[in-house]
Amino acid sequence: MFGYLIRIALLSLRRNPVLSSLLIAAIALGVAVSTAFVTVYYIYSGDPIPSKSDRLYYVQMDNWNPDRPYSRNRPEIPPEQITYRDMRGIMASEIPTYQSGMFVASLTIHPPKAEQRPSRERVRMCFADFFPMFEVPFAYGGGWDRGSDRNLEPVVVLDAITNDRLFGGGNSVGKSLRIEDRQFTVTGVLAPWRPSPRFYDTHTGASQVPEGIYMPLEFVREFEVETAGNLLIWSDYDENAGFEAFLGSEAIWIQMWVQLDTSEQRQAYSDFLDAYVLEQKKLGRFGRPLNNRLLDVMGWLKDQEVVPEEATGLLVLSLLFLLVCAVNLIGILLGKFLSRAPEVGVRRALGASRASVFLQHIVECEVVGIIGGLFGLGLSALFLRLINRLLDNSGQFGLDLPMVAAGIGLALIAGLVAGLYPAWRICRLAPAVHLKLQ
Amino acid sequence: MELGPIFRALMHNPTRFWLITFEVALTLAIVVNCVAIILEQRELLTRPSGLDEPNLVVVTTDPFSADFAEDEFIDTVRDEDLRRLRALPGVKAAAAIDYLPLAGGGAITGLRALDADGEGQPAPFFEVGIGALEALGVELVAGRDHVESDLRPGDDEPVNLIMTQALADRIFPDGDSLGNSVADPDTGEVFGHVVGIVRQMHNAWPRSSIAGSAMLIPGPPYDQRRIRYMVRTESGALDAVFNELEPTMLAVNADRIVTIRPIAEYKRRYFDDEIVLVKVLTTLAVLLIAVTSLGIIGLTSFSVTQRTREIGTRRALGATRSAVLRYFVIEIWVITGIGLALGAILTYALNYALAHLAGAPSIDWPLIAAGIVLLWGIGLLSALAPAFRATLVPPVVTTRSV
Repeated sequence: MFGYLIRIALLSLRRNPVLSSLLIAAIALGVAVSTAFVTVYYIYSGDPIPSKSDRLYYVQMDNWNPDRPYSRNRPEIPPEQITYRDMRGIMASEIPTYQSGMFVASLTIHPPKAEQRPSRERVRMCFADFFPMFEVPFAYGGGWDRGSDRNLEPVVVLDAITNDRLFGGGNSVGKSLRIEDRQFTVTGVLAPWRPSPRFYDTHTGASQVPEGIYMPLEFVREFEVETAGNLLIWSDYDENAGFEAFLGSEAIWIQMWVQLDTSEQRQAYSDFLDAYVLEQKKLGRFGRPLNNRLLDVMGWLKDQEVVPEEATGLLVLSLLFLLVCAVNLIGILLGKFLSRAPEVGVRRALGASRASVFLQHIVECEVVGIIGGLFGLGLSALFLRLINRLLDNSGQFGLDLPMVAAGIGLALIAGLVAGLYPAWRICRLAPAVHLKLQ
Repeated sequence: MELGPIFRALMHNPTRFWLITFEVALTLAIVVNCVAIILEQRELLTRPSGLDEPNLVVVTTDPFSADFAEDEFIDTVRDEDLRRLRALPGVKAAAAIDYLPLAGGGAITGLRALDADGEGQPAPFFEVGIGALEALGVELVAGRDHVESDLRPGDDEPVNLIMTQALADRIFPDGDSLGNSVADPDTGEVFGHVVGIVRQMHNAWPRSSIAGSAMLIPGPPYDQRRIRYMVRTESGALDAVFNELEPTMLAVNADRIVTIRPIAEYKRRYFDDEIVLVKVLTTLAVLLIAVTSLGIIGLTSFSVTQRTREIGTRRALGATRSAVLRYFVIEIWVITGIGLALGAILTYALNYALAHLAGAPSIDWPLIAAGIVLLWGIGLLSALAPAFRATLVPPVVTTRSV
């Protein structure tokens, strides 16, 4: 039965190819535009690490100016990054399953090939736990171990692109690379990895691609390098007292993530943070009320408002665009169906019920919807590639399975919205009127 | 006028009427909202920065040799760099600078007038060498430029600074900025003295509401990690100068990474999202108008086909071709008119929703009026071809097939 209806629908579409392609084009255009911006919104607002986003927590504590809150607009929130000294302090805890402070630095890389000039690269300085905590995939080798953090071993992890550029790809584990004035040994090469939004550091842009190079954070002392991200400070320190004075200052520039698998763990860690801050208060620090915060991944992304307002606006506008396309279809379908009134009259006279006439035409609309939807998805993919190119974001936006399903869903809804009224009109026609005209 | 018959005919078969009305209304709402956002973004992209944007190119050098740990060594290299840069044909001026205007990313502090209490004003600042005003192409309106003796005062000594008129107006609402001092709002410590005022200069965050607040502090700092110059070329000479810059730098000292990039490129990267948004919304609006126009053509053709016999009858009864044309034109004019009236309301409703959801700018009525005129015109144009086809219906049609 259904196969028959679909065959009839295809026959009917073939009878008037110009009109049919117009119908399909209208749906395709609407689906292309709306799916593209549904996808953009979906990717901005998506869960970058669904397997454990409710077990990863961003750590905040309020070391800000006793006279003035960190944020004038939101006085209740603690600062959005922590100090180096507090990172050291709380990393002493053994409660979290994994934990890592981190920041991004800009360092000089000397390519092994003599003909290449040195370059400045963004390097994520972090701890061994970064890789298992964020489930970073490796193509070769792996991350370093906690011992390398403790003993400050010169180890480095590269992403696939950097590995291609420096070593021409392949398994580079064990190879040596000069960064600043030291030789580092490659312990692992990442497989392609593109968490979106890049949740772990929203300050340098949640749409950014991950850095190409990773090394133990404590090399910050060796290189005396400041962050290439955001640094805020409210109190002076002696700038002439050397780098240690800077590391001991109240400057906030470190992002701190912990993995807490159970609620007991979470409670224990929360208590630990409170105790740590109370301890620090005795030293004359943390002049503001106790205000520690542990937000999980989605909570943190919401707090940081990583979905650009423009994405929401475009989502609304593009869905309305699809609606206009559907309204357009109503007109065309009405014309198409009513011009077939005599034929429908014959079918009705031969005993077809209103319901079956209605069904036949709805199926025809949905066939148009699906064909249009498929073309639309293709167009949508092109559209997203164009946006990727314009934004230069190394392919952040793309259709995945849920978005293909969403596109087809939108096409079916558009087909239904457009087809209901015309199909209803045609099935209500009195058969006799049109028989007379034959 | 045939308004009476037109109305009765419309009400006799209202589907087409409602479809066009609804489509036109929705189109107006979407297009006007798109244009409002486009205009807002374009305003942001095109507002003057006070800088000589088309002729500015930035030379960034990142040394990797240990020699640069010595302040004296940096001074020697910097002096030589600047001497050679300024000697290049086509270069008008060059000066050392730390952060970049228009690039997103810089230094900011809070300041208030020394003899006033109250909150500090955000004061983004750049540390610059001698000749920065000329190298940036900004205009001094009062006071003086930095001179050698301003550079490198002792630690914690107040600096002689130059600020924009906009920042001066914020910190000194009474207008007595020149010669006065600014202080840290928390400690009350004197930060510096205002020696010069520039008309306009955007800071590192041209998107922000304080884009016009900027300060030039004598520097530049000894930072072994980065030495940077703003180079201003003669008008139109940027392309010619561009390729000379890297060799010039490496000839002075090759132990560094040299990056050359026009300031316009930094600005384009900073405004990436806005530029893409404008492109996307423009595409959306154009596509939508095309779709709606096609819809009106389709519905009018359909209606002409359906009414072929009536048209023939009218022609047989003595109606001229122009009368038939007039009938269809007035009809579409009435339908789109009603649609646009509804659309105006819908536009405000959509604007309200978008303002809440997405911080869209509010819409002024002239924009809606412009949208109405545009869509009215497009509605009429779209209906013309099918209406002309109607005039071709011969009176003889009536004699057939009934």
